[in-house]
Amino acid sequence: MKLDRRLFLSTTAATLAAPMVLGQGRPRVVVIGGGAGGATAARYIAKDSEGAIDVVLIEPTRKYYTCFFSNLYLGGLKEIEDIGHTYGTLAAAGVNVVHDWAVGVDRSARQVSLAGGGVLTYDKLILSPGIDFVEGAVDGWDITAQNAMPHAYKAGSQSELLKAQLMAMPEGGTFAMVAPPNPYRCPPGPYERVSMVAQFLKANNPTAKIIVADPKSKFSKMALFQEGWADHYVGMVDWIGADFGGANVSVDPGAMTITIDGEVTSVDVCNVIPAMKAGRIAELAGVTSGNWAPVNAADMSTKADPDVYVLGDAASQGDMPKSGFAANSQAKVCANAIRGALTGSRIFPAKFSNTCWSLIGTDNGVKVGATYEATDEKIAKVDGFISQTGESSELRKATYQESEGWYAGITADMFG
Amino acid sequence: MPAGSDVLADILAIKGDLEYGEYLASECTTCHRHDGTSEEIPGIVGWQAKDFAAAMSAYKSKSRAHPVMQMVAGRLGNEEIAALAAFFESLGR
Ligand SMILES: Cc1cc2nc3c(=O)[nH]c(=O)nc-3n(C[C@H](O)[C@H](O)[C@H](O)COP(=O)(O)OP(=O)(O)OC[C@H]3O[C@@H](n4cnc5c(N)ncnc54)[C@H](O)[C@@H]3O)c2cc1C
Repeated sequence: MKLDRRLFLSTTAATLAAPMVLGQGRPRVVVIGGGAGGATAARYIAKDSEGAIDVVLIEPTRKYYTCFFSNLYLGGLKEIEDIGHTYGTLAAAGVNVVHDWAVGVDRSARQVSLAGGGVLTYDKLILSPGIDFVEGAVDGWDITAQNAMPHAYKAGSQSELLKAQLMAMPEGGTFAMVAPPNPYRCPPGPYERVSMVAQFLKANNPTAKIIVADPKSKFSKMALFQEGWADHYVGMVDWIGADFGGANVSVDPGAMTITIDGEVTSVDVCNVIPAMKAGRIAELAGVTSGNWAPVNAADMSTKADPDVYVLGDAASQGDMPKSGFAANSQAKVCANAIRGALTGSRIFPAKFSNTCWSLIGTDNGVKVGATYEATDEKIAKVDGFISQTGESSELRKATYQESEGWYAGITADMFG
Repeated sequence: MPAGSDVLADILAIKGDLEYGEYLASECTTCHRHDGTSEEIPGIVGWQAKDFAAAMSAYKSKSRAHPVMQMVAGRLGNEEIAALAAFFESLGR
């Protein structure tokens, strides 16, 4: 968290006077986090309430880099600016965008305090802060080692750093990844990353190797990825799952070594993706239980407080994966429920869906998806599908192109 | 006459609930751009209600191929398809 605090201080100087005055008389929704869940919720509440609700979005960064497609950037298929999005259109659509960090939530006073010193009162509070890492999850690694051994699991400078390290690998060098345990952000994400790193190396450094130490014995779209690695990246990827000691791992960022089940290997790049938990502000707000924030499926309100809602990765909700698509889907259900509660507009039944596309190689896309409904207990899966092994190259290309369409669609849906 | 056309006639006989349609449409706009432009995924804003309802019925009965659309349409009832069709048509006016 040290780095975060420094960022607070440098980005927050000139924010808060105006928003306090603007909201008077109207109910106010404060949204913490302008990513897949938060930006969508803010946009929908502002758009659909037509000014009846004062929507304040708190987000420290002025440009949000999507984690989705950040692996394609590593693979050389996107530029970093292709995945960066600003908040100007949201602001123009009536969302009061405050570039600051939320540092505290006082639920009894219904107040959020900001790093810059401001305090905002709310009628309803939405938290969509994404993830933070569980301390001590990977032996030898902590957040101060994220330059030597990047996670690149929050996109932006971390993605650029990992890409630079990948490009600087010596001929025939070794790229290691420490994969995370369940549950974590984007189940196929580490394996799409392996594919995109392999694609880059095949073109630029074909004798290089990739080692993956994984605490799991199976993973999302496993058959599809393993088929793709065997077909396209012959002999390059060595995946070491839990059955072969993949959970018994430590790293030494100073020496640039990784030790897997007692065997020490020198590596040139080490992408450590530690175990995850809800973004810290959810814990500070007192709405977490263990690592995540339990929510009610009907409206994404927390079990701890009916006026505080948690969206996206930070929520413990049931069957949905932690994906951008899922966060966006949950945000719309939540926005409809909050608008109804504050203005008396109609509240419709919760419906959720998700599709996650992954890229195995250029024009070789696969997907998995499902629909979900709210039960008393959780968000429950209704129906689903997954791409098959052995599909034609035409179908795989069409699937990849569809993911490009989805990216354009969801980013427009989030940011306007 | 194929079974699907009875269903379609039933859907077209329903007066679509625009407000419900707007809510349901938020699921569509994750992929189909809300400005109506097509970028790898076709735009659906402004479609005639009858064309929209026909497409959704075809996905629902699985006579039209596409796993995502079959899944999405598969859980929509007639009221819901009518609501969506009315909403997307209304955007074209
Ligand atoms: C490599 C990779 C690939 C992925 N690919 C896909 C994909 O193809 N499809 C897909 O659907 N998903 C994908 N995902 C997952 C997706 O990125 C996340 O699930 C999604 O971003 C979650 O949305 P969120 O709103 O919970 O969090 P985020 O989108 O991370 O947004 C959280 C925001 O909150 C802000 N924030 C945090 N703390 C505070 C605070 N205290 N005060 C104010 N603001 C705060 C952060 O700055 C951030 O902008 C991928 C993820 C990774 C890592």
